[in-house]
Amino acid sequence: MLQLDRKTVTREVSNAQIEAGGGTIVEIDGDTPWQEAATQISGAVQVDIRFPSFKDGRGFSLATLLRERAGYTGRLRAVGDLIPDQAQFLHRVGFDDVAPDRTDLDADWARARARFTHAYQPAQDRVTPIFGQRTATPKDDLAALNARYRGADAIDILRDAIRNEWTGRIAILSSFGAEAAVGLHMISQVAPDTPVIFLDTGRLFAQTEQYQRALTDQLGLTNIRMVRPQAEEAMAEDPDDKLWQRDPDACCALRKVRPLDNVIGDYDALITGRKRFHGGERMALPVVERLDGRIRVNPLASWSAQQVTDYFQRYDLPRHPLSDMGYASIGCWPCTAPVQDDDDVRAGRWSGRSKTECGIHTPSRIAAE
Amino acid sequence: MYKYDTYDHQMVRERIAEFRDQVERRIDGRLTEDQFKPLRLMNGVYLQLHAYMLRVAIPYGTMNSAQLRVLGRIAREYDKGYGHFTTRTNIQYNWPALTDIPDILDELAAVEMHAIQTSGNCIRNVTTDPFAGAAADELEDGRPWAEIIRQWSTFHPEFTFLPRKFKIAVNGASEDRAGLRVHDIGLQLVKNEAGETGFEVWVGGGQGRTPRLGHRIRDFLEPRDLLSYLTAILRVYNQHGRRDNLYKARIKMLVEAIGPEEFARQTEAEWDEIRDSNLVLPAEEIARIRAFFDEPPAATGSAIPATGRADFAAWLRRNRRDHKVEGLSSVVISLKPIGGTPGDITDVQLEAVADLAEKFGFDEARATPDQNLVLPHVRNSDLEAVFDGLVAAGLATANAGLATDIVACPGLDYCALANARSIPIAQSISNLIEAEGLSDQVGDVTIKIDGCINACGHHHVAHIGVLGVDKRGEEFYQITLGGNFGKDASIGNIVGKGLAGEDVPAAIVRALNTYLEIRNEKERFIDTLRRVGPDAFKESIYAAA
Amino acid sequence: MKTITANRLTDGRVIYRTAEGEWTEDLARAERLADDATAEARLAEAEAEPAIAVGPYLIEIEDDAPGGQKWRREGIRLTGPTTGSTKTVNASRKAA
Repeated sequence: MLQLDRKTVTREVSNAQIEAGGGTIVEIDGDTPWQEAATQISGAVQVDIRFPSFKDGRGFSLATLLRERAGYTGRLRAVGDLIPDQAQFLHRVGFDDVAPDRTDLDADWARARARFTHAYQPAQDRVTPIFGQRTATPKDDLAALNARYRGADAIDILRDAIRNEWTGRIAILSSFGAEAAVGLHMISQVAPDTPVIFLDTGRLFAQTEQYQRALTDQLGLTNIRMVRPQAEEAMAEDPDDKLWQRDPDACCALRKVRPLDNVIGDYDALITGRKRFHGGERMALPVVERLDGRIRVNPLASWSAQQVTDYFQRYDLPRHPLSDMGYASIGCWPCTAPVQDDDDVRAGRWSGRSKTECGIHTPSRIAAE
Repeated sequence: MYKYDTYDHQMVRERIAEFRDQVERRIDGRLTEDQFKPLRLMNGVYLQLHAYMLRVAIPYGTMNSAQLRVLGRIAREYDKGYGHFTTRTNIQYNWPALTDIPDILDELAAVEMHAIQTSGNCIRNVTTDPFAGAAADELEDGRPWAEIIRQWSTFHPEFTFLPRKFKIAVNGASEDRAGLRVHDIGLQLVKNEAGETGFEVWVGGGQGRTPRLGHRIRDFLEPRDLLSYLTAILRVYNQHGRRDNLYKARIKMLVEAIGPEEFARQTEAEWDEIRDSNLVLPAEEIARIRAFFDEPPAATGSAIPATGRADFAAWLRRNRRDHKVEGLSSVVISLKPIGGTPGDITDVQLEAVADLAEKFGFDEARATPDQNLVLPHVRNSDLEAVFDGLVAAGLATANAGLATDIVACPGLDYCALANARSIPIAQSISNLIEAEGLSDQVGDVTIKIDGCINACGHHHVAHIGVLGVDKRGEEFYQITLGGNFGKDASIGNIVGKGLAGEDVPAAIVRALNTYLEIRNEKERFIDTLRRVGPDAFKESIYAAA
Repeated sequence: MKTITANRLTDGRVIYRTAEGEWTEDLARAERLADDATAEARLAEAEAEPAIAVGPYLIEIEDDAPGGQKWRREGIRLTGPTTGSTKTVNASRKAA
């Protein structure tokens, strides 16, 4: 089953209700008049609309009317004889999920779902239609962008950012850590030639390096940019390889912050995989923010740990080898430790110190303090 | 003319990537032919008798010289050196390889063209008056509205898998050259008592197996409500149109089954729910699109040239039309050479038209529902140069609107759906009328030929219609009389049993001669036919030679 | 006598099936199927090759040419449109 990642909160509620045995799943035929359907689905937490043939478009109107006229907010799933080329239409009329008869085409469904950046007409997905965008506020207006991306799916945000807002001037920053595969998989669907900036600090786990190569290969990413610390600076500032112990902030500055600064000029915007559930300063993370004059796009900001897990399963993505060993967030080997089950995911980073961020996501004046 | 912005460009590019991927998936088996067929049709790709056919959209029939040149290059590089203009103002290529089509679409995209929704059970290319923006009898240019509808209908998530194809036409003139009453939806621009522009809405017309004229379901629709009202009509149709019987699936059959009043009631009830939704067109967007369709400036002091050249004078008489702007004319470029294939044009001719449009035509040309081309804006002082250019290109046939200006579908020579040939019939009718020297005497008359009941050649609305049928391996042709395309639209009636193909040209010539015998002065063929009824014509059609 | 025809997937051209299960544009090389049972069996084989041939079906052959009620349609598929070449007709207009 391929999920379309719509109305996440509602789905979590539905999932919980279904698991708790509360709420029912109702299947209705696509040719059911919507008024009749509306009475059949009262109390349902999930409604399946059956398409007898992919050529029978009545289910598209029915979904629209259940959402728009009947006010149904639960989970809506399209089932039956559907083809991947309908993914975006299904999503746009209000379906959360689809369960097609032919089940071996998940990759085609994912690609089709990411096919079009814009839409000419308003629909249930709340995307601003092109005629609305033409009359909208200028691009660099953070509030307007955040308003536009509010409630949008991560992949729609990514697609819009890469193909439209910052075309050719955007990269994704990836640690190839525990959750990195999610954002990278989406990139592979939207534009696999997007630059992926990978900070090779010289202190990475061997497993991370291994994982980076394997994942890049599997996803077909074609533009990995390895960024390394300057050799002379490393010799001068960290001759004994113990800087991490003496002054972890200085070590991060040498191995992450300054190398990134050296390449950042090529881009107007950087995509990150940060999420609010990581805690700390990230709890207030907006989808789009400005940092030292550059844009950071955080399409996964609102994602939960469960969503990450689901996504890995759905697309059968490989886990970082250290994930199974209790590492929930993975940085350089000297400063990363496994976490306990009830810890925050980033509790293992600079464990035992007050430090929580390396500095690449922090304004420079604060990082310097 | 409308110019794409980055949104439009991106949309078309992403569509090509999608189609490229669909072709790949069809070839490697991830898509079956049954699944691929509706997808390729929605990109204008048919599989005909000998090869694939690609139908390229010419939105509301408008083209510039760069587009014409690319159409010419495609004919040369990917086809056999010619293309074919259709009655819905598109162009078709008869011989492209499936694997070349994504590349052809790339070439088209570079000049802001595509093949999106030129077939399939979705909202098709929107048509309008080929003289829009130029016609002397125009109230308002229909093209901005056609462009707004084009965008709204492109990849519509709710209305891409309709019961059957769906055709919309917009007309802004007092004469109806778009054929509103034979479209699923016809929109006539009108002014209300307060002097504001709006739309009269007609629904349920169509040709094909059961031709029907549309019904007016609304007298005045405000422009801001255009998209919500169209949505309401389509939503009623998508839910209630028949899907169990291909021949009863068009909206005309739904309108007929429940009655136009009930259809209007359901539409209005749905519209009440959405009229103030986000489908309301912003005034800025209407203004933005309108601004693309400016009229050319007046050419003062420039009268229609007097000439001693008989060929030029004849061409002016038949192929020139009055223009709303002083000093300008519109001209019809006939794609009906005597004995040729109606609507066909070669690569070289496409380029010649491009040159003339660029040099003398404010960079604009149009395709017409009669399978001809139009240069809508030509300075009167340039008319002779245009004529000379057309003569050099073999495009100066002075027969616009005459009996040899025959419309014909591709028929059994190309089309997989056809039962009989239509082009050779058109060719022999054209040759005989020319040989008999009848054209000029007879004057305005429409002859339209179809090779099957789907009626792409519009025989139902021809003064003289010809419909090919197959009887146990032999071609027969039924003649219809009294159809008309326009304000006083009518559907022709079959006069009797079918004729063998070789008897059709003489039968039509006899009918035309009957008209010459019984007409009153200045009466057109259709007027005489309506005055005296079909009997005299019927008799002449079946008179033994 | 019958034979199997279809259109080639990649370019749409008219093709016929040979006794060896190959596809050819040359009707003379196509397999002649005398009895209905064999014809249906061969058609089923052809239908199992959707990556090569689109919509295979049986046609009548008489005197090595398309026959039966569909003789004209199949004849046009074999030899091309009967309309004359637009390239030639339209070019000759120019000369005249």
